[in-house]
Amino acid sequence: MKRRVLAALMAGAMALSLAACGSGGGDKSSGGGSASGGDDNTLTVFAWDPAFNIPALEAAAADYKENVNPDFNLEILEQAASADVETAVTTAASAGDFSNLPDLVLFQDHYIQRYVADYPDTWTPLGDIDINWDDFSAEKLDYSTIDGEHYGVPVDNGTVICAYRTDILEQAGYTIDDLTGCTWDEFMKIGKDVHDKTGKALLCMNSDGNDLPYMMLQAEGVSQFKDGKPYITENETLVEIVEKLVQMAKDGTLLMPNSWSDYTDKAIQGDQVAGVMNGNWIIPTIEKVEANSGKWEITSMPTLSGGEGYASNGGSSLYITSNCQNVDLAKDFLAKTFGGSTTTYDNALRDGGVIATYAPAGETEVYQEGVEFFNDQPIYADIVEMGTHVQIVEQSDYHYSARNYVGTAIVNIINGADTMEALQEAEDQLNFEMGN
Amino acid sequence: MKQKKKMSLLAKQSVAGWVFLTPATILIAVMAFWPMIQAFIMSLQTGSSANLQWNDPIFNNYTRMFADKVFLRSVGNTFLYLIIQVPIMLILAILLAQLLNNQHLKFKGFFRTCVFLPCATALVSYSLIFKSLFATDGLVNAVLVNLGIFEENYNFLGHSASAKAIIIIALIWRWTGYNMVFYLAGLQNIEYSVYEAAKIDGANGWNTFWRITVPLLKPTIIMTFIMSINGTLQLFDESVNLTNGGPANSTITMSHYIFNNSFGQGGVSNFGYATAMCFFVFIIVAILAFINMKVGDTRD
Repeated sequence: MKRRVLAALMAGAMALSLAACGSGGGDKSSGGGSASGGDDNTLTVFAWDPAFNIPALEAAAADYKENVNPDFNLEILEQAASADVETAVTTAASAGDFSNLPDLVLFQDHYIQRYVADYPDTWTPLGDIDINWDDFSAEKLDYSTIDGEHYGVPVDNGTVICAYRTDILEQAGYTIDDLTGCTWDEFMKIGKDVHDKTGKALLCMNSDGNDLPYMMLQAEGVSQFKDGKPYITENETLVEIVEKLVQMAKDGTLLMPNSWSDYTDKAIQGDQVAGVMNGNWIIPTIEKVEANSGKWEITSMPTLSGGEGYASNGGSSLYITSNCQNVDLAKDFLAKTFGGSTTTYDNALRDGGVIATYAPAGETEVYQEGVEFFNDQPIYADIVEMGTHVQIVEQSDYHYSARNYVGTAIVNIINGADTMEALQEAEDQLNFEMGN
Repeated sequence: MKQKKKMSLLAKQSVAGWVFLTPATILIAVMAFWPMIQAFIMSLQTGSSANLQWNDPIFNNYTRMFADKVFLRSVGNTFLYLIIQVPIMLILAILLAQLLNNQHLKFKGFFRTCVFLPCATALVSYSLIFKSLFATDGLVNAVLVNLGIFEENYNFLGHSASAKAIIIIALIWRWTGYNMVFYLAGLQNIEYSVYEAAKIDGANGWNTFWRITVPLLKPTIIMTFIMSINGTLQLFDESVNLTNGGPANSTITMSHYIFNNSFGQGGVSNFGYATAMCFFVFIIVAILAFINMKVGDTRD
């Protein structure tokens, strides 16, 4: 008897699950079917960072609702990581079924060119959108503009900051002015002194992240690519930078944690470093250690021959997908928030620490305020100002692959490989991947 | 005449058999075999996954992988894990099973649970736990430094030899108990009287183990071997979560590299090449399983 009941239950469960499968695929209105907004005043968007870009989007939605359309509703579909957005686009485009994509996606700048090239049907160009593009940093727009056509509206700002612990520098007998506009050789000397006297590293990079060489290269106005081909072994600037990084790692000036979480949680928040060099989105990570409030200050990057260096790393923009049912609303929303509203940017900065690449935003009061954590330095205005100096360098669909191979080469060189051989291997591997 | 219309009993049974088989057969064909064929077709193609083109020459993806240094390294790594980890794990498992099969052992259930418990942990979570254990400021370093064995903290996951060793240790910890359960089940099928007879004949423990336990466990041993080889060749979670393939790709496994080529590496998705590598793994698994079955075949 018992067995019969069990069998009946099992059969019932199976029938139910089969039925669920059937309806899930067929009926679009039953939740999960379409991620696109349902009515005329709703837009959906993928974003991933609840401490950073999601508050920025909420600020934009509130701004649009208050000043343009009181019925407007922005539905933010939170993703665990930026890679999830990329995977969603890859799978949707591979299947040729875009119904699971939202109206808008926040997308990483370095990836977008590749994704527009690979999956052109996923995106809706902005066309005649009402935005004065001259207000934005040219370097930032360089990513989202493909063949002269604008695809995305910038959200945040990837301008690289060099943040230093002034109290630790002082112990070693230096000030932040010594590190502003210095050469990398001077930086290395200061780094060595700091390490000898305080045991802290002045620079830090996760060994699987490898963004430092790219940033240092951009500060010199050089790219890992030249005319669409890898530019590594013949690139004297790159070789010099790699040699400097290896030397710094050996001196103890450059700390290399194993992973990104070790970089943020242990190196930066665990007080192992006296300096952080990365996109300004790293600021919320630094600010988490309240005990260090007032001890940090920021400045620009060193360069090989001296003078202040500027670079940009990371950052994202908003794109309209081809699944968007209400392109006019999406365009209007973008134009009147991130495309030209200082209210949006002020609140995005206040709530999420998101800094604009939109020049008029940098002039508002919020941007001019001194930040207590950074010794009352008006860092936001400084960052917007630094952002205007970032040089455009050649970008490539294989940006991250190039970074990976150069990073691998650096680890190998630190472990004893020959510099040119390791870089040659990186170049070969990159050429191989690009099919050259 | 009437007889002809009706099917014979045998034919009826045969039809019933087919009817019962059909749903499962169709499902397997649609869910497993058809995707395999599609995958093979894809492995001959290249380009963006939304617009795949035929390769020229057609087997380019297959020839390409043998010139790909990272792929070859991943194959080397996987086989290194296989050759070192599988024998150690299976020997440990069989010894533990032997110990826990002792009839006079008290708290047997408790010990068995202890050994089997690692299998209840999710792959990702145990990888992350090992990662924090062996971190530069982790527990293992703290213990070793405080005991005076190490002078200063060692970055286990930052050096290729130690990172590989930790993956192997983690694998042994995770899978020994799992294999032990199969051996325990196998051991319980061996009549105790066989051991008694051996005892009367004056066989010592060593002889009993090699002459009775191992031969009678042979089918189980072969099964665990095939499963372990198969599992190790598809190793993924540990490589991704423990070391992320690093430092400098020195611990990356084949599956991890395949994943990187599909979704991982900076949005460069090359499904064609990734599927070709999958077929390479598939062929290796098939060959190894075949050899294993031939070697272990006891029928004459």
